[in-house]
Amino acid sequence: MLLNSTIDGFENIQHQDYYSLEKIINKLTTLYRLYGYHQISTPTFETYDLYVGEDSIPSDDLFKLVNHQGKVLVLKPDATLPVTRMAAMNHPNADEVIKFAYQTNIYRNFSSPEMIKKEITQIGIEYFGNDSPECDGEVIGLAILSLLENGVKDVHIDLGHVGFINYLFEELALSSFEREMLFQYIENKNIDDIACFLKPLDLSAEAKAIIIKLPSLYGEPKAVLKEMKTLCLNENMAGVVEKIAEIYCHLEVMGLASYVSFDLGFTNQMNYYTDINFKGYINNWGEPVISGGRYNNLSEKFGIPRPACGFAIDLMKVIDYMEQENLLPMDTQKNHVIFYGYDDKSAAYDLANNLRAKGEITEVFMIKSDWGYHVISIRENPLYKNAEIYFLSQGKLCIVENDQYISLEAITFESEVN
Amino acid sequence: MVIRFALAKGRVAKKAIELLIALGYIFEEYSEKSRKLIFTDTTGTIEFFLVKSPDVPTYVEKGAADIGIVGKDVLLEHPAQVYELLNLNIGRCKMCVAGFEDRPLPYGKKMVVGTKYPTIAKNYFNAKNQLVDIIKINGSVELAPLIGLSDCIVDIVESGNTLKENGLVVLEEICDISSRMIVNQVSLKTKRELIDPIIRTFETQL
Repeated sequence: MLLNSTIDGFENIQHQDYYSLEKIINKLTTLYRLYGYHQISTPTFETYDLYVGEDSIPSDDLFKLVNHQGKVLVLKPDATLPVTRMAAMNHPNADEVIKFAYQTNIYRNFSSPEMIKKEITQIGIEYFGNDSPECDGEVIGLAILSLLENGVKDVHIDLGHVGFINYLFEELALSSFEREMLFQYIENKNIDDIACFLKPLDLSAEAKAIIIKLPSLYGEPKAVLKEMKTLCLNENMAGVVEKIAEIYCHLEVMGLASYVSFDLGFTNQMNYYTDINFKGYINNWGEPVISGGRYNNLSEKFGIPRPACGFAIDLMKVIDYMEQENLLPMDTQKNHVIFYGYDDKSAAYDLANNLRAKGEITEVFMIKSDWGYHVISIRENPLYKNAEIYFLSQGKLCIVENDQYISLEAITFESEVN
Repeated sequence: MVIRFALAKGRVAKKAIELLIALGYIFEEYSEKSRKLIFTDTTGTIEFFLVKSPDVPTYVEKGAADIGIVGKDVLLEHPAQVYELLNLNIGRCKMCVAGFEDRPLPYGKKMVVGTKYPTIAKNYFNAKNQLVDIIKINGSVELAPLIGLSDCIVDIVESGNTLKENGLVVLEEICDISSRMIVNQVSLKTKRELIDPIIRTFETQL
């Protein structure tokens, strides 16, 4: 007997969840299609080389294996990089607009904590070749709609821009160590430790005051914009303020601005975002379910300089939330289970095929013991919760209702009645 | 909507509850001997529960609690994706390397370290390019060097009395430790109107 054969971080998806997952995926691919996104797929394996120079994914987090040629492969740890490469390979004209959607599993070999999921089911979009606020607005808007369409109402998007901090640190000529430490503190909104860290640094009091304000730059967009304007030390920083104000205006036009707030405390420490980035939350759900942003320098790695913006949704987290809130699409279709006597086999199969041709789920079993036993075994099986049980014996058909066998002329079902 | 606090059992929780009571929240059912797990204040806006300190970041990261109060030592040992909003400056102590006064740390040779904090110890010695064998010990860490299990220990030192009584001294200081208020990254944004005033009142109490 095989025991202990489960692996930490990997899970089975039960049939009810899989049904919901498929419905949700269908709904979302249809949504993305209506906005002109083409569904694509990239291989499960990638070459290790693709991720070597990529700071956003630590090498320790990659599942690595060696193929027969001695090449080191990794299980795809992210979808954006392969999709970007695909766009670069197949669409060498850098000016082309390309809109791709994908649904895939990604794999991260997180070392701790043990229960963290290492196989992540994602759906997402990538929009290449457009650097306008309208493109950002469309991407953020679709992120919001992805949740709204599935009945999740308490959607909350936090929009930031890594440029604001980067341009500030450039202006102050901070060393890479100082940047790294400050990034970490700002990401954690750890104001106290920022103050301690800044104390011995050779910076003007004004500059220190601005850095300490960075973690608090979040909340209601208009208030944050006003505050940001007072902190700009150069034109680039002012440009960031202008850009996210423009994106916000665009979202107002789309009627989705109420779902958006700002947080300028996002850094690009652990990702390739060069510009805006955003996270999507659901109220009362502790972890972000959407992550996205603009990555204008990534495609250049594949020889085609091309701006891009996209997002990915962690589908299983959304499903966990929807399950808790009873929002999941449930499989309510009835099964017809027909038990037949030895001589009625061909009649039972004909009957079943007729029902299936009409879209009815139909199963046939031979009668092997007394009828009551068959009825109980079906009723006790949770997979047959919606089953209607029939017996076909000596040319006579009957249905089981309240433990009674009632004879029938023919099997009827809802779609026929309507 | 309720704001949930996860508090690390022990000294820190006691001080944190005192702070909450000082802020005007009343917990009728709470007493130190109570076996209840969750306490709600009379207005029904705040709830707190007591857990083992390493669990606090986990509860907050996953959103089971909105706010947590826990020592920096735990946050260093069990890093979590949370906002570390306030240094409460309670439960102040130091993370130290301790050993015998007359026996310097065997740098350059194999060093055995006994500690409750394997991650902190490993990171500290790794940064010094010193290879160490770490032995994880769950309590009475001071015992390890006394009976020859390890060359030194890494532990938090408050008064230094336990060390002194066992003939040990602080050899190196790693960092300062104090209690932090941590906040779930989503709660801070989605329950801002409730969490902001709590943070602000805590800030003014400091």
